[in-house]
Order: sequence, then C-alpha cells, then structure tokens
Amino acid sequence: MRNLEISRSKAAYHAARLFMGGVFLYASFDKILHPAAFAEAVYNYQILPDAAVNLAALTLPWLELLLGICLIAGVWLPGATAISTGLLLVFIAALAYNKMRGLDIHCGCFSTETTEGPAGHWTVLRDVAFLAVSAYLTLYVFFRQKAI
Amino acid sequence: MNQATLSMGNRSPSKPLRRALWQIPALVALAVLLAVGVNHWRADGIALVGDWSEDARFADASGGSMIVSLDRVRELFERDALLFVDARPASQYADGHIQGALNIPWQEVDRYFMEAADRLDGAGADAIVTYCDGESCDLSHELALFLKDMGFENVRVLVNGWTVWKQAGLPTVEG
Repeated sequence: MRNLEISRSKAAYHAARLFMGGVFLYASFDKILHPAAFAEAVYNYQILPDAAVNLAALTLPWLELLLGICLIAGVWLPGATAISTGLLLVFIAALAYNKMRGLDIHCGCFSTETTEGPAGHWTVLRDVAFLAVSAYLTLYVFFRQKAI
Repeated sequence: MNQATLSMGNRSPSKPLRRALWQIPALVALAVLLAVGVNHWRADGIALVGDWSEDARFADASGGSMIVSLDRVRELFERDALLFVDARPASQYADGHIQGALNIPWQEVDRYFMEAADRLDGAGADAIVTYCDGESCDLSHELALFLKDMGFENVRVLVNGWTVWKQAGLPTVEG
C-alpha cells in the first residue's frame, strides 16, 4: 500500500517535471528566434528601465530554455525549480500590475506575434496554474527528493 | 500522521538549498553568456542597450523619426493639407475617429488597403498621418512603414493620436 502511494507520488512528480520542462522549452523558442519583437513586448510592459530592456529580453528566453532542459533531464533541479517558481511569480506580478493600471499589453508569453492578443485574466490564471505546478515541484525537490 | 507528512518530514532541505545557492547564479550566468554570445554572432542581433526613445521607436527604415507634432498636424488639418489614416480596428474607428480620417486597421491591412488606395492617391495631401491610441500602440507605426513601402511619401505618425487629438478638443466624428 505504502509502495503504491510512493509510486503514485513519484509519477505525479515526474509528470509535473516533464510538463513544466515542456512549457519552458516551448516558451523559449519564438522569443529566441525573434529578439527584436520580444524586446518590444518587454518594453511595452513598462516595468524595466529602458537600458535594461534588451538585455532582459535577450537573457530570459535562454534562461527558459535552460530551465526546460534541466527539468526534462532531471539535472540541477534545486536551482531550476527555484528559478522557475521565482520567474512565474515575477510574470504574474507584471501581468497583474499592468492589468491593474489598465495597460493593454500583449503578453509575449509564448509568442512575439501581436496576433496572440492582449493579455487578459485568462493569461494570469494560466500562469497561476503553472505557478502551482512549479511550487509543487520546488517543495518536492527540496523536501522529498530522497524518495525519488 | 499521514504518508505525505511523514515523507515531507523525512528530509532536511539544507542539502538542496546549498545546491540551489550555486545552481541559481550558475544558470543565470549561463543564460547571460548564451544570450550575449548568440546575439553577437547572429545576423539579426539587437543592441545590448537599446534606444527606446520615442524618435527611435517610431523610426523609418533608414532610422529617421516619423513622428509629427500635434501643433504641426493641427496646422495642416486647418489648411486641409493632410489625410489622416486610423490604424485601429474598425469597431474602435466606428466608436469615434478624427474628422476625415480613413480607416485601415493594421491587423486587416490586406483587406482594407486596396479599398483605401485610390482615396490615398487621390487626396493630393501634403502628408499622410497615421494614428492609433496609447503611448505604446505600434499599429500606427507599422501602418506608416507599410504605406511608405507602398510608395507613399511624407507619411508621419501622430503618437497616441486619438487621445491627444480628443484632449486638444479638435474635431471628431462617430460612425
């Protein structure tokens, strides 16, 4: 019985790890391919100082790619899950802040195309769901990894 | 005590925490190195510190600013020497637009442009001025670049045009 519970718990953990890895890999590609368009999306958030916009827009997709690789390969998990949870908190805060001040921005989450549509409540909810998965992974890695 | 509590309690987080403390800066440093390295090497790389001034954001292909001031636009409007082109979606145009403006919604430019081309050609205006709404709205800029590509001359952008025009109490129409 106990073995069954542990194997279910492991399966859920591995599924969550692969899922979040896939999300980060998918999120990174379009932004790496179109740096100028993603820089514009970052600028439109109007949160970072102008001088930091390009460096942030260049670095973030590569960080997402590395997180995706780490999560899928199961390496450097303490660092990868902590950054993943931290990044998602920052994304949600940035989206919510701009919703609150009425700025009609494009999310730039998975695509740099403006046809993706403006970020709405659904975008925030989606990121909250990702945050829940990421926080679960972080707790699992920090407290239960010995059982994997 | 249930199984989850037992499992959560059977391990101190200090070891993963110690690992996280070096893995986090290592991953960030690696990402910065990859970003800067690949950006340097690729043909469509961008400046590490960008110029996000208004003139740079609303520049034409050769880097010249396409921005026109409200005062200049007002003067041309009073002389009937310009043609406004509203780049917002048709529904927003119908809710209200600058008097005399054509509507070429940027997101449906292929559909609207052919219809509007004759009027753009025949207007004989000194300038074509595109506008949309909001400081960071880029529709007017995209449309202005497109019109320039199509061979129209003296195409300009009135930044945040709908709002600044309304705030100045200048003529607007609905429908």
